[in-house]
Amino acid sequence: MLKYIAKRIGYALVVLLGVSLIIYFLTRLMPIDFVKDKVTQVQTSGATVSAEMVEAMYASYGLEEDAGFLQILQGYLNWLADLVRFDLGTSFKYGIPVTEKIAMHMGTSFIIALIAAVFEFMIAIPLGITAATHQYSLRDYIVTILVMVGISLPAFFFGNILKSWLALDLGWFFPSGIRDATKDYTGFPLLIDYFRHVFIPILTVVILSIGSRMRMTRTNMLEVLNSDYIRTARAKGLKEKVVINKHAFRNTLIPLVTSMAGLLPSLFSGAIITEQVFNLPGIGNIALEAMNAGDIPFIMGYNMFLAVLSVLGVLLADLMYGIVDPRVKLE
Amino acid sequence: MSTPKKSNNHYLSGKEIRAIAKENAKVIKRLEAYKKRKAEESEFLTEMKDNRNILEIEDLHTYFFTEQGTVKAVNGVSYDVPKNAVVGVVGESGCGKSVTSMSVMRLIQGPAGQIVDGSIRFKAYDYVRNEKGEPVPKEGGKPGEYQMEEKIYDIAKMPINEIHRIRGKQVAMIFQEPMTSLNPVFTIGEQLDEVTLIHVPGATKELAKEKSCEMLRLVGIIPENVYDRFPHELSGGMRQRVMIAMALAAEPRLIIADEPTTALDVTIQAQILDLLQDIKTKIDGSILLITHDLGVIAEMADYVVVMYAGKVIEKGTVYEIFQNPLHPYTVGLQKSKPTMTLDDSTELYNIPGNVPNPVDMPEHCYFKERCAKCTAKCSGAYPGMVQVSPTHFVACHLYDGENENG
Repeated sequence: MLKYIAKRIGYALVVLLGVSLIIYFLTRLMPIDFVKDKVTQVQTSGATVSAEMVEAMYASYGLEEDAGFLQILQGYLNWLADLVRFDLGTSFKYGIPVTEKIAMHMGTSFIIALIAAVFEFMIAIPLGITAATHQYSLRDYIVTILVMVGISLPAFFFGNILKSWLALDLGWFFPSGIRDATKDYTGFPLLIDYFRHVFIPILTVVILSIGSRMRMTRTNMLEVLNSDYIRTARAKGLKEKVVINKHAFRNTLIPLVTSMAGLLPSLFSGAIITEQVFNLPGIGNIALEAMNAGDIPFIMGYNMFLAVLSVLGVLLADLMYGIVDPRVKLE
Repeated sequence: MSTPKKSNNHYLSGKEIRAIAKENAKVIKRLEAYKKRKAEESEFLTEMKDNRNILEIEDLHTYFFTEQGTVKAVNGVSYDVPKNAVVGVVGESGCGKSVTSMSVMRLIQGPAGQIVDGSIRFKAYDYVRNEKGEPVPKEGGKPGEYQMEEKIYDIAKMPINEIHRIRGKQVAMIFQEPMTSLNPVFTIGEQLDEVTLIHVPGATKELAKEKSCEMLRLVGIIPENVYDRFPHELSGGMRQRVMIAMALAAEPRLIIADEPTTALDVTIQAQILDLLQDIKTKIDGSILLITHDLGVIAEMADYVVVMYAGKVIEKGTVYEIFQNPLHPYTVGLQKSKPTMTLDDSTELYNIPGNVPNPVDMPEHCYFKERCAKCTAKCSGAYPGMVQVSPTHFVACHLYDGENENG
């Protein structure tokens, strides 16, 4: 087992190297030039910028104007050399180390994503099971239609509708932000304040994501329910409830548990659109801003962080397979 | 049930499809409600016609309500299973032999599949129950021992929530596919123990394990070798033995073996058949053996039922069916069996033609189009059962006038 994990981590390093190479080159090839944008900003404010100053700026950021392949490769190798020393560099835009900036905004996104994921599973799985056990009944159609509506709604549209209804019309929740800056709450009232800020974003994410999970549960459950061993379980004289909740569900769990492990990166990536709509200081929001500004160290740091999580998620999924499915042996 | 008009090429117009769907929904709703109703025990208690039988199937109709129309998979089937006998049911794929046995277990997949009419009388050896429906313990007996009595249930009339009295306990089933019939995520032990745990009220884990190990030994497996194993670690033959052990665990009176050897290789087939023979004498019960292998039937069965297109066309003792087959279909079946004496130049016989479309069965004999001996009479009504000996029955116009019976 340990040998298997070590081998997988070895493979993962190769994958990550490839990922970093691709992301770095793509980022450098983007038609955004951080220095040029900055110079333009300064110039529009009326100041003059000399050619030497521009050159000095390029040098200080480790960039070149109209860089060629070799220069980009050089930049990549420099970035890699820093990475090996556990240094993700300093963000161009925010002026602080990338790790610090990520750590600052990770919490908000993570908590929202975690709560949303818990609700998503708690609602989607039972819905999927009833839809499957009552296939082609009214219940199945209602559940299916509702979750399909959920999948189809765009986050910016549905988020704004919820915001206008629950926050602006009813006034139960706050339309944006993460906490009330004008109050200095501590303890329980602070918690209530957080709750009233994050409720609508979480609701939006949950409703939008239930659909695919429910469809997945339903499909798996149907497949399991039609299998021979379920017929055997019924033929034994087991009550239908036991057949479904024990024999069928235990088998449906196999793909569900593994998909749960695949959730790992999405817990940390932040919901870019939802965070925009509700103006939350989450990592998704920050990453989008960095992307627009051509903040190379941040883009690299953020994406590599997600790449590491994705690779770990896949490894975790495979390990989970070994646990929930006795037929799978990890070697 | 009014069957909507059908064109010859089986193309259905949107209107026809909607008419079928509407009709189906109505019938299914009624039958599902009947299945799920709450009923007093007296409603499904009945009497046997012949007390030597443990199972009497009479005029059973099991239909599948599909989008293309109603498939009468079992269309008026009647046969009996006497005590301590092996009854073999033969017929080609899709003739309704499995559906009949699934009806006995009430395992027909609803809502499309439904028992529409008929009765399945079964002589059960069940617990004496008090007013609350709980079993009454035996006086001075060990835990897990209860007073027993003989009761005759009509399985077709039983509400589905009472069926656990029969399923697995009185009638157990061995399936065709041992490779997929065991749940892959539970150990053999867990799956075997379950049977005792459900059917013996108040059974403990230890009692269940003891019983499971006893059953494994009975089917020729050393319990220690498989009890904690998962199904995928066992071979097909071993899994079928486990399935048989599982079927035996609750000491059923009737075992339905639905093509138990089809998925196994020939040497294992022989072993499993020997095992079934052996077990029949040990448990003092009956076996309903469903197969399309005439060799297996000849080897195992005391009585044979031949089915064709959802109906019984001939039934009798194994000697009558093999030495004096009457129905042209039975004769054809026997002729199409390869034998050792057949020389290389003769081609193996096959029955010409195909089974008629199940949603569009003719009014006359279903075998008419494929029958070489067909007469003018065969275009008339479907032939009734003719009794040719005390045990031998055939449904064919060739034997009309010989003691007509139903």
